[in-house]
Amino acid sequence: MKRYSIVSAVVAAGAMVLSTLPAQAADPGVTATEIKLGVSTPLTGSAGLAYGKVPGAMKAYFDYINANGGVYGRKIKLVVRDDKYLPTLAATQTTNLVLKDNVFALVGALGTATHSKAYTAAALAAKNVPDLFVNTGFSGFGNTTKYPTTFTVLPSYAMEAKIMSKFIKEKFAGQAVALVAQDDEFGVDGVNGFKAGALTLASTTLYPQSSMTDARAKALLTGLSAIPGKPVVVLFGTTDVTALIFKAAESLNLVSKFTWIAGSVGGDSNTLLALGVKPTTIDGAVAASFFPDAKDSTDAYVSQFMKINEKYNKGVSFDNIVLQGMNSAMLTVQALRAAGKNLTRTGLIEAVQNKGSKFASAGLVPLNYSATSHVGYNGYWFGQLNAKGELKPYGGTLAIFTTDSAAGAVEPSTYTRPALPKNGIPTNS
Amino acid sequence: MKNLKITRGLVALTSAALIATFAVALPTAARADDLTCSTTAAASKYGAFDTSLCSGVDQFGAKYEIAMPKKFNGTFIVYSHGIRKNTNLPPLPVVAPKGYVVDNSPQIAPTDEIALSLLKQGFALGGSGVQTQGWNLQEQVLATTIVIDQAITKFPKIDHVAAWGNSLGALSTQLLAEQNPGLVDAVAPMCLAESALAEFTMAGDFLWGVKTLFDPTIKATGYSTGMTGYTEMVTDIGKVLTVFGTLSAAIKANPTAPAWPASSTAPAALKAIPVRSAVLLLGLISGISTQSSTFDSSSGPKGPLETSFGLAISPALAVLENGAEAAVLAVVGNYDMELRAGGVVFDNSKTNYAARLGDDGDIYAAGLTGKTATAGMLGYLSALNPAAPRVTADPNAVARIKALGEIEGTITVPTITMTATADHVTPPGATQYLINKYKASVANKQSKPGLLVNIWNKPADEYTTFDAAGVPQTPATPTNGTQHCNYTESQVMLVAKLLTDAAKSGNAPTNKTVLAAIKRQPRLFVDPNYVAPLFKYRQ
Repeated sequence: MKRYSIVSAVVAAGAMVLSTLPAQAADPGVTATEIKLGVSTPLTGSAGLAYGKVPGAMKAYFDYINANGGVYGRKIKLVVRDDKYLPTLAATQTTNLVLKDNVFALVGALGTATHSKAYTAAALAAKNVPDLFVNTGFSGFGNTTKYPTTFTVLPSYAMEAKIMSKFIKEKFAGQAVALVAQDDEFGVDGVNGFKAGALTLASTTLYPQSSMTDARAKALLTGLSAIPGKPVVVLFGTTDVTALIFKAAESLNLVSKFTWIAGSVGGDSNTLLALGVKPTTIDGAVAASFFPDAKDSTDAYVSQFMKINEKYNKGVSFDNIVLQGMNSAMLTVQALRAAGKNLTRTGLIEAVQNKGSKFASAGLVPLNYSATSHVGYNGYWFGQLNAKGELKPYGGTLAIFTTDSAAGAVEPSTYTRPALPKNGIPTNS
Repeated sequence: MKNLKITRGLVALTSAALIATFAVALPTAARADDLTCSTTAAASKYGAFDTSLCSGVDQFGAKYEIAMPKKFNGTFIVYSHGIRKNTNLPPLPVVAPKGYVVDNSPQIAPTDEIALSLLKQGFALGGSGVQTQGWNLQEQVLATTIVIDQAITKFPKIDHVAAWGNSLGALSTQLLAEQNPGLVDAVAPMCLAESALAEFTMAGDFLWGVKTLFDPTIKATGYSTGMTGYTEMVTDIGKVLTVFGTLSAAIKANPTAPAWPASSTAPAALKAIPVRSAVLLLGLISGISTQSSTFDSSSGPKGPLETSFGLAISPALAVLENGAEAAVLAVVGNYDMELRAGGVVFDNSKTNYAARLGDDGDIYAAGLTGKTATAGMLGYLSALNPAAPRVTADPNAVARIKALGEIEGTITVPTITMTATADHVTPPGATQYLINKYKASVANKQSKPGLLVNIWNKPADEYTTFDAAGVPQTPATPTNGTQHCNYTESQVMLVAKLLTDAAKSGNAPTNKTVLAAIKRQPRLFVDPNYVAPLFKYRQ
């Protein structure tokens, strides 16, 4: 009888201990103490130079959360694989993340061609792998039948082009507009957006990705310089191409000939400066963003992320890319929390669908997640870069607009951003 | 091997079908007691001692062999070899450097080394070499049925029969099991081929594209009969090889903007597009793998081309490396098929190549030199362009080819496949088609679940190497996971072990068993959710 009591007590104590831990989930990548996430993204190669900071920033934020108790007691582990921004390698690395690394979910993948190939190759839909906060604005990922587990984070390129059309027509009326865009789904999405935005283009130049050279950039600008007046040149490509064109303009003394507008993908000032563009060249250039300026330390989110970056991402300068990575990580933590203690892949997908639009984030425009929309932010504001690379609201007043990827109107945003969770640590459920 | 007694009836039935489809002469029936057995032959041919090698010729002229070790373990493994050319060839670079004479010899295992290993383990082996080579599906199924019949008649101690095969032999193995329930206890199709129309549509689309873009004097289809047709076929092979040699040299000289072959009659606007993009387009619309033995579509040489090589150049070079064989296969295959079927079999009269390209147009936009260039090339290949005449098949010939049989997916015995993800002759879509058909069969309650296990063979994540000057290096040994049926001996032996275990137990290996078996095979994986793209013919 006595022995029975001891055994009972031990069992009872064990049960108490177990009841404080989250239940074991059946899906891969989740244990009582860990959530394993994965990202395939460029770390090296030309795209790595521009976007290689994303996973480090995400990891820094996860480390910060882990140091503060994790998510319901589970620590987040981020497995990072380098895809060099190459579709075949992205497919391989994403498959490796799912099959070899057994990650629970993917977060923060980057690129359209890369990720569309990877999504199919790794059978993410069949495996029901949550594919969160993909860094692409390709509107095709909004097809929830084809990409049922994918949630993009960037506003679509079509949205950006529509809003940019309105901005150009209002601010640069009378100036001819020349579009220089990548000749793929990224650029074509933009071209369609400019059409929807009823912007008249004096010239459209489409170039294949990775085909732009110094000589081609110079030939392009020489041709565009024949347009009378001060044409607006819209650069709708990646940052490395923006840099090539800016440097060509410097070389040809054509910087002041044009009004420059760089799209959100290709307008990161820190990267442009790092690629050798002169500060005087970017001074006055117009750029689009849906975030606060990464150099604006008065912004609560930026300030908090800067602190985290300093401690957990030592030696890495804080910029728009780091801001983007940390913001996606913060969204991920909220999604994991919203999915509850009994974490499943289906639960995580439903959590983003049902609660994602209310997540706290640094974005100045709303998140658009719902059961029918897996597209994240849906708006932009325009600013001018100064020689320090700071993006200041154009005309001194922040004017944010929202729209959709189709024929919807471009409207001023009435969105009020949720306050930063205390110390940047989400407590949502 | 539950109802072996019906084998002779099946032979008769299959023979009748064969005769109805093609004019097959029926020689005097062979009997098991006609077999000539010799231990000396086994020793000299396979290095197998204490083994009796029996040779015979069946009633349809197929030569066959049965090797029975003295310490027999009860399981007989019958092998079906892959496609062999059905025509003699003069010496031709790449295709047949020393010339080729039609080979009807029997084959009892993928290689002689594997045969020896299995014989040492106590397995009996058998296989045939049919009288008519080429796409000999029905003949091979029949010949294999006869080999099994002969083996169990001669050696009643056979308890279990396992069947396996490579490529076309894999397809015939699958059909053997589907069409003869109870004849075998387990099967292992490796580098499984799709149906004749699916395979020759892939190769034919590619060849038609090569002809249309690079050398319109290539005949490609509609070969004449007799010696004239043979000459046309051999001439075509020479032209195809010349085109590929020219393309290869152009890309080597200027990978970024290689020039088009002089034999091309495409308009100047099209030739302004780097020719590598045209090669890549042909690969994508026909379904040729963008990974080859040398090119992984990812790696780049150190320096300015590091990213753009993997993005834009490597996929095209992979198609070029793979495509030479696909195009020659199309020439030889079309010739053989047209002779067999009595008319043109390839048909692209209604093919929408833009739809065939699908998402790959976005994924490979950089390699295709952008969407504008892609649209230009597709426009040239359009059915509306009189400079790109389409091919219309002879419906009677197509009907005859369809009658050769294709996968139904009705699986009654453990079935283990092994498939390379970058096989350029039998892409993984063939296995995927089997998976899909099996799932449908299970849903229709025609098959029991859990009988099909798929092992995939993929190349390393990155494997292209470059010399100090940045020139890609052709590997001394073909890269595992690429090329056709390019498995290592240990990979094949692993399949043999799973196959024979399944034949004995009657159960397909569990996922746990397969995972344990492939633990030391980094290039193999299993994933029930892996979905390979189907052949373009099926899309």
